Amino acid sequence: MLELLPFVISGLGVGAVYALSGVGLVLLYRSSGVLNFAFGALGAIGAYVAWSLLQADWPQALAWAASLLTAMLLSLAYGRLLAPRLAMRSPTIRSIGTLGFALVLLGFTEWFWGEQPRRLVLPTDSGALAFAIGDGEVRLTYTRVLGLLLAFLMMGGVGLLLLRTRIGLQMRALANDRDLSALLGIRVLRVDTAAWVLSGAFAGLCGLLLANIVRLQATLLTFLVIPAFAAAIIGRLQSLPATVLGGISIGVLEALAILLPSFAPFRSATPFLVALLMIAFHRPDGRLA
Amino acid sequence: MVMPPDKTDHNKTGDAQGLSPALALALHEVRRRERSGLVLMLVSVLLVGMLLPWIANAYWTKTLSSALALSIAAAGATLLYGQLGLVSLCQFALLGVGGWLALRLSHGLAMPFELCVLAAGLLSALVGMLAGLPALRLKGLYLALVTLMLAGGFQVLVTVTGFPDGGSGWLGRVEGSERLLMARPWIAQSDASYLRYVAAWLAAMLALITLHRHSRAGRSWALIRRGEAAALGAGVNVLLYQTWAFALAGFCAGVAGALLAGGVGQLDGRGFGASESVMLFALSIVGGVHHWLGAIVAGLLLRAVPALLTDLGVNGYLAMIFFGAALLHALVTAQRGVAGQLLDGAAALRRKLGGEKGGGKGATP
Repeated sequence: MLELLPFVISGLGVGAVYALSGVGLVLLYRSSGVLNFAFGALGAIGAYVAWSLLQADWPQALAWAASLLTAMLLSLAYGRLLAPRLAMRSPTIRSIGTLGFALVLLGFTEWFWGEQPRRLVLPTDSGALAFAIGDGEVRLTYTRVLGLLLAFLMMGGVGLLLLRTRIGLQMRALANDRDLSALLGIRVLRVDTAAWVLSGAFAGLCGLLLANIVRLQATLLTFLVIPAFAAAIIGRLQSLPATVLGGISIGVLEALAILLPSFAPFRSATPFLVALLMIAFHRPDGRLA
Repeated sequence: MVMPPDKTDHNKTGDAQGLSPALALALHEVRRRERSGLVLMLVSVLLVGMLLPWIANAYWTKTLSSALALSIAAAGATLLYGQLGLVSLCQFALLGVGGWLALRLSHGLAMPFELCVLAAGLLSALVGMLAGLPALRLKGLYLALVTLMLAGGFQVLVTVTGFPDGGSGWLGRVEGSERLLMARPWIAQSDASYLRYVAAWLAAMLALITLHRHSRAGRSWALIRRGEAAALGAGVNVLLYQTWAFALAGFCAGVAGALLAGGVGQLDGRGFGASESVMLFALSIVGGVHHWLGAIVAGLLLRAVPALLTDLGVNGYLAMIFFGAALLHALVTAQRGVAGQLLDGAAALRRKLGGEKGGGKGATP
């Protein structure tokens, strides 16, 4: 059991980011009925902005803030300008619309910053939690610890927001029936703004963390949204705790798969396999079979 | 005593006869239009396919072969989305499945090319049917997600195993020595004749889909799209026809995969990411899902437009910005896609020319 621990710990870091991305995806889905394909692209462009500002010797805090701000503003721009034009269509079409947005963002990022992968260093990389295991030691950088903490914090925060606040209630009403909500006097645009800005902030945060943990490359980060969907699927696009647990277990399972020699080369398929298994047990009414 | 019922009977049949000639005429007219549309499609695709190799240089001949092969896969995606409203995001993965089998059979058993293509189509149809099974209980977004997860899984699988290239063993991978190319059909050894060959397959596959749309299958799909309850009520076998649509779309992907493998000679496992399936779907919508022209536009957008930009020295990522904007445009305003706009333009041009000639057919009714 002890020899598994290093893998579990290294899996926690990536798992936390899957979990965090999953929370961001579920948040937007529950508040506006859109599954955001542009989540990764928003994060990528934010991370590139931070990288450029750091290259220009801006203070770190400003660079991180600018990164989040970029993602939030772009997300808001889509949410206010384009998403309403698709608001009356099916959730599938609304989600496919964000795919168009993702392609625009990805194309711009790759064109503007070029294809070569870069490295984004976060201040939290310097320190690490060290676990003594047997004779050796396993280190978990503070970036990964931060990711884990954020995943749980945001799960709680977003859960409270959706369930306990007025704007959360309005978000859920809007996702459920836009017309009826408008008739009831809910200020649709204000709620939309809140949902898209929040989801943009999540995207920016995940972009920074993933650019650090994986690498800073636009295409890679954009399509990392696909394994993040897996975490959201485990939460049935509804449950935040299940999404977080799903994301973390995917990360850990993926890391543990290194131990199975025959499966090790295929281990990056773990998110998809887990998601497909979960869907197999789905029931149309949303409960688990 | 016997007369009145006779009379009413006579009247009834008289009414029916009074109605049926009009109905029959209308039906006849619809059939005639369907037939002429089909013939027009076959003739134009074949004609363009025959002429292209004369116009295009060596590079463009190869590029257009790939583009037309991808058009066949796009035709499958447009079938599912346009007829049934189903979003399948694993079409490019199915293309890879077909390509894999075609390469394996060609290298391992030296089977004739056409048999490889058919076998590839059948395997992809089977896999596509299995991928579509969840669609029977999961609707909309979940189906898109299931197929996306499948595409992701296939990406990992094929990156590790690679495509067969003439080696031994179950996977058919060459170790160390030179990779072999897939044998082309004996009638299409050169690049130019291969382009014509692919165009012929494209015409055949588009005709297959069009014939389906004009038959019982097409009517059942239209009813299923309206609502499953309505379809069931009208006596449509939802299970059969929905699965059939997935199988047909898969068949298109498999055929496209085999033709792509034959054109290039080999396939690269790294080129089959889930993102490719997503792009194929996006560009199918951009091309237009309600007309056969849309699939051809989608194939050209996927392969020919990036090649054109490379030719012109423009960064290929600018095309991606354009594709994204075009997808949003197609979803928000132009729901018939580029094909719809081309057809509208052609119709407007015809009207204008007809008007200049003085009245014409358009004014008579």
